[in-house]
Amino acid sequence: MRRILIVGAGQCGLQLGLGLLAAGYEVTIMSARTPEEIRAGWPTSTQAMFEQALNTERAQGLNLWDDPAPKINGMHIAVAMPPGTMAMSIIAHLNSPGQSTDQRVKFPAWLELFEERGGTVIYQGVTTGDLDGLTALLRYDLTIVAAGKGELTALFDRDVDRSPFTVPQRGLSVAYVHGLAPNPSYPERSGAFNGIPGLGEMFAIPGYTLSGECDILFFEAVPGSPADIWQKRLPPDEHLSLMVKQAREYAPWLGERCDNVELTDGKATLSGRYTPVVRRPVAQLPSGGLVLGAGDVVISNDPVTGQGANGAAKMAAAYLAAIVAHGDKPFDREWMERTFADFWETSGQWATMWTNGMLGEMPEHAARILMKATTHTPTADRFVNGFSDPSDFQHFFFTPEAADAYLASIEE
Amino acid sequence: MATHWKVRPYLLTGGRTHVRHRLLVHTLVSVPYYDAAFAGGLLPEARGLYEQARVTRSVAELSASCGVSLGVTRVILGDLAASDRVRIHPETYDSPYDRNLLERVRDGLLRLA
Amino acid sequence: MTACSGSPEGETVPTDGTVPTSAKIVVAGGFGVGKTTLVSAISEIPPINTEAWMTAASEPVDHLDPGIDKRTTTVAMDFGRRAIADDLVLYLFGTPGQARFWPMWDDLCRGAMGALVLVDTRRLDASFAAVNYFEQDSDVPFAVCVNLFHGRQTHHLDDVREALSLSPEVPLLAADVREPGAVARALVGVVEHTMSSTARQ
Ligand SMILES: Cc1cc2nc3c(=O)[nH]c(=O)nc-3n(C[C@H](O)[C@H](O)[C@H](O)COP(=O)(O)OP(=O)(O)OC[C@H]3O[C@@H](n4cnc5c(N)ncnc54)[C@H](O)[C@@H]3O)c2cc1C
Ligand SMILES: Nc1nc2c(ncn2[C@@H]2O[C@H](COP(=O)(O)OP(=O)(O)O)[C@@H](O)[C@H]2O)c(=O)[nH]1
Ligand SMILES: [Mg+2]
Repeated sequence: MRRILIVGAGQCGLQLGLGLLAAGYEVTIMSARTPEEIRAGWPTSTQAMFEQALNTERAQGLNLWDDPAPKINGMHIAVAMPPGTMAMSIIAHLNSPGQSTDQRVKFPAWLELFEERGGTVIYQGVTTGDLDGLTALLRYDLTIVAAGKGELTALFDRDVDRSPFTVPQRGLSVAYVHGLAPNPSYPERSGAFNGIPGLGEMFAIPGYTLSGECDILFFEAVPGSPADIWQKRLPPDEHLSLMVKQAREYAPWLGERCDNVELTDGKATLSGRYTPVVRRPVAQLPSGGLVLGAGDVVISNDPVTGQGANGAAKMAAAYLAAIVAHGDKPFDREWMERTFADFWETSGQWATMWTNGMLGEMPEHAARILMKATTHTPTADRFVNGFSDPSDFQHFFFTPEAADAYLASIEE
Repeated sequence: MATHWKVRPYLLTGGRTHVRHRLLVHTLVSVPYYDAAFAGGLLPEARGLYEQARVTRSVAELSASCGVSLGVTRVILGDLAASDRVRIHPETYDSPYDRNLLERVRDGLLRLA
Repeated sequence: MTACSGSPEGETVPTDGTVPTSAKIVVAGGFGVGKTTLVSAISEIPPINTEAWMTAASEPVDHLDPGIDKRTTTVAMDFGRRAIADDLVLYLFGTPGQARFWPMWDDLCRGAMGALVLVDTRRLDASFAAVNYFEQDSDVPFAVCVNLFHGRQTHHLDDVREALSLSPEVPLLAADVREPGAVARALVGVVEHTMSSTARQ
């Protein structure tokens, strides 16, 4: 039986680990935190996931929250320009609902499932020294590092050509709340995406957390702008009041929904920032061992497009298929490079291109598409379904040519 | 017998029931019966840990005295425990906050104070 | 490199068949606040120092030369041991001061009955990271202890409490950590704090 070691028990590591276990592999996961600690901790994401990614979980029978998690039926996209004034409003429907299950709910449950199904879990924050020793033991046929944005990422070289940024592009602020009023513009359960040029973005996302249904307020602030008040960690209550204050000021239609919000639990906030980066997929340890990076370790985009967990799920599915297809052959560097390259070609590059594009100033052709979407529902829907499959943007959104051709085609 | 405070006790794996303990840095480990022939067949890291665990000691001590990283120590001890070559001492108390345990530690410390 | 130092000696398994068990208290605080000194004062073995190493990314990210220019940083911890009874051993783990590698703190704190954060009143900021960690990121009950470097208290504890913005529930102690009796009393303070703060649960 082939033995696989996975470092990091998050979206990618757990989904891959559970998949490999089901495929008959002997799998060990090293997790920095126990299920109890994850449940008792701070949120780590807003983790909105869409059809394609959710389907990879469904294919593995890991969709344990299809019932309890509120359906994200679509999205209300608004532009506030100047801040406080709604200059553009788009109602867009998802072909199949998205959902956001708090990683504090999902990861512990998957971790316990993994243990119940006979997987081995070692609870430890893994160091480079550990990885060096573990690969040198030759106990595992393949070692995968899926440790998110943690310190182990330093093992993997930044891919300069695919990483345009050297500093964080947004300051991030999250609060999980109960009591958010429905959006009058889209009363069904739906996400809200408010762009405030120059300042950042403000989202409200229906979610499922430790205490049941909730909404997740998520602001992305342009560093150095007046909206970027998220440099340091604040007491949760203060954090939430500041978010509500910002919503009232920059997107009052969201602010009005916040009159009765309260935090879902004592640790319901998150703030921070990181530099988006794409890394080389293979790292070599000093003793010669090779490890393959997965998830955020290799592709860590800004969360503005909510692609990280989606990509991590898709990558877990892709790696699983590649590992199984490789049979008994050695997992050498060539295989590792190719496995990631295939994923990048079919999936990773599109999410990255879209995300990096959304962080800068909106090009004229993109603005035309969004303008069209305010009155033309099929365009609105096509745009929002790109959250599920961002490769579709190449056909109508990424380039002026594609946008022109698309707009011409719908005029007929 | 009390089981470790964070683990559901018995898990069925590979058709055989065994207790799976989380190896904390201070978890005690020992060798129930020493088998020199078995030791001779082990790889250096595993052999060192097996030898050192003849005296009951913690995972962290084993790792330090053998110069083997904690991660490798845990993996090897897990393997040795799965074949009953080492014994991972179960926590006698349900939680580190167990009253009786706290009282015993406090009383022990008061004798030193 | 992996050869073990010395051969095992001094069988510690009790002959009456009881299985020894262990308890743990974590000692945290910035570099040079006296963690190692405290552990040695009460440990029956010389404190054991170990190092774990991490690769650190070369900064700034710009001139990254793939494969080279990676730095290594180490996280040191030290620990000591004290038999409390035939079948009970208390471990003290001194954790690294800096916020270098959080997962390691979690690992050391997992299953601890309490923690003592040491502070040096001349350099309170050296222990901020540790205080923050126990306030926000760990459920392990903790007390703060001023290390009386010269056996004297140079600052009012109230001022220290305020400077650290410690909440009133957190006990603030003082001890000369070179002195075993004082260390034992400080640790009693930790254990008693755990008793009172977990009794409610
Ligand atoms: C504010 C914010 C909002 C986001 N919103 C969305 C969204 O709406 N939709 C979306 O798709 N994505 C979103 N993301 C991104 C998404 O959360 C991540 O991309 C995704 O979780 C990555 O999965 P992963 O498995 O690679 O890493 P993670 O899910 O981060 O898991 C990594 C795991 O490894 C563990 N670990 C780290 N270091 C070590 C170590 N040394 N040893 C052992 N274990 C270790 C960590 O504790 C963690 O559990 C958001 C991110 C942020 C920060
Ligand atoms: N005079 C005096 N020196 C102390 C005391 N505690 C620690 N030291 C000294 O302070 C220095 C740092 O202490 P150490 O225990 O190594 O700190 P650590 O980095 O927290 O482990 C050492 O040189 C100690 O000898 C004390 O209570 N009094
Ligand atoms: Mg020291």
